[in-house]
Amino acid sequence: MNAGGPSAHPVPAAVAAVVLLCLLLTGGAHPCADAVPGDGPDDGMAVLRRSAAGDVAYTAIREMTGEAGHGTPPTRVVDRPGDGVALIPMTGGADPFVVADSPFKELDERLLATLERVYTVTEAGVGEVDGRPAHTVEAVRANGTVAGRFWVDVDTGVLVGGSVYGRDGRDVLGFRLTDLEPGDRHWPEEVTEDSPWGDVLTPGEREALRADGWVLPENLAWNLSLIDARATVHAGHKVVHAVYSDGLSQVSVFSQRGKLDEDAPNGVRGGSTGTGTGGTGVTPQHETIFGGDGGRYHGMWQADGFVYTVLADAPTDLTASAVTALPGPDDSGFWSRVHRGMSRLGLL
Amino acid sequence: MSREHLGERLSALIDGELGPADHESALIHLAKCESCRFEADMMRRLKRRLHGLGEPEPDLDFMGRLVGLSRGDGPGGPDRGPSEPPSGGAGFGSRPPLGSSRPLGGFPDPGPTPPPAPLLTEETVVPPERRTRRRGERFSHLFPTLPGGRYAVAGVAVATALLGGAFVAGGETGDAPVVEPRLSDFAVEHAVTSRVIPVVDTPPSQAHSGPGPDLPTR
Repeated sequence: MNAGGPSAHPVPAAVAAVVLLCLLLTGGAHPCADAVPGDGPDDGMAVLRRSAAGDVAYTAIREMTGEAGHGTPPTRVVDRPGDGVALIPMTGGADPFVVADSPFKELDERLLATLERVYTVTEAGVGEVDGRPAHTVEAVRANGTVAGRFWVDVDTGVLVGGSVYGRDGRDVLGFRLTDLEPGDRHWPEEVTEDSPWGDVLTPGEREALRADGWVLPENLAWNLSLIDARATVHAGHKVVHAVYSDGLSQVSVFSQRGKLDEDAPNGVRGGSTGTGTGGTGVTPQHETIFGGDGGRYHGMWQADGFVYTVLADAPTDLTASAVTALPGPDDSGFWSRVHRGMSRLGLL
Repeated sequence: MSREHLGERLSALIDGELGPADHESALIHLAKCESCRFEADMMRRLKRRLHGLGEPEPDLDFMGRLVGLSRGDGPGGPDRGPSEPPSGGAGFGSRPPLGSSRPLGGFPDPGPTPPPAPLLTEETVVPPERRTRRRGERFSHLFPTLPGGRYAVAGVAVATALLGGAFVAGGETGDAPVVEPRLSDFAVEHAVTSRVIPVVDTPPSQAHSGPGPDLPTR
């Protein structure tokens, strides 16, 4: 061996390489360090599960909170176990709205399971809502920030409040129940119940749809799981409604095979914009179809022979994760078309 | 050599990379070996296609009649000798005979003129400056001069075909029906499942009646 050669001191060189590798691996925080499930005792789940299983009839006034609920009028809420939940507008001429209760028992459990998986759910003592003592339960991200809070009335077990917070700590969306009283004397007997679409898609049916080209993933993001999938038929065409949630917020993805009409107006009330053929009227980056910084979002576009409509009551980052996980709006550019073609040919 | 096939030397022959002696022996082998001749023909066609120079061969019958004209009362006129080329360019007779193409692999580098190969008895020597403009070599400066240049050319061709195919496949699907999402219905469905129930301006039953951009507000 040549003593003067570069291999004369192999050990220091190897050590330096290992040290450099370690620095690269550990020197900087991952940009999404909190994009992992929260790890904790989840001692707050018992409080939420008792509340979900409660069968107390009550009447209250619901007020929306957070930036997404700003300016919305109060609504009277009547919960009649076994029948459903009625919302009765207290201003204007809007009609009462009744949601049947039966489809939600299983859905509630899936939501709670998702909440438990994604966040650390802890009981944070007893607070106060409208002068009544309430258990405070927090959903905490892996980085220690609070993603959501629930308030459960100590006396009745009714969920009397909830808030969803963005990563910047802003109160994006929430509600409070005030004037809580037992009984259902305001129940609108004349109103028929609304139920979700009846055709619940089983795992086998979902798999068959995927094989047929439908985009229906079990997870849109690490923290957005499919908790419900239903289908109906509009004008002879199947429409699939997939509900994704992190346990706090819900994102609805409606997909239907087809394309948008070039002659149809693109503008949708509320600031969102649907796409025209070729993705015109919206940027592929999705930012321009956000309805706002948070809260209710609705967007509509076409991609790969399907039309997607997304409705969400969620923080912006969560909605963005959902939207970007779906096929992007069709782009008429050369490379986009090549990329799309390669996907169709199975090369990507 | 006559019993062994040309192998790798075949592509060198096609590219005109063989020395004079090797070139001559390769041509002799080609004259005797049908297999190598077929392979050389295929390689030559491939090379021509890759270079995009698949020029149509002149119609032999038409060219024959032109030759007849040039030897008689053609455009050159009766005063001009049959072998005298017309003014302004090479005349018939100064080019290879009709129906024949250039020999496989072109011509060797300057050197002793090889004896005529059995297949090339009427081939004439082309000046070096014209050889550089031969078919297939006209655009040779566009391609790498590396030893694996032909592989690069093939790679470019494959990439081009792939991109073209993907571009065609990525076009709009013509069989997709035109749909108009019923946003009102979707909003109610979303509200029912999320139970962030909206305060609607119109009863939900009316919202179901048809498509429209009426999104309820909370």
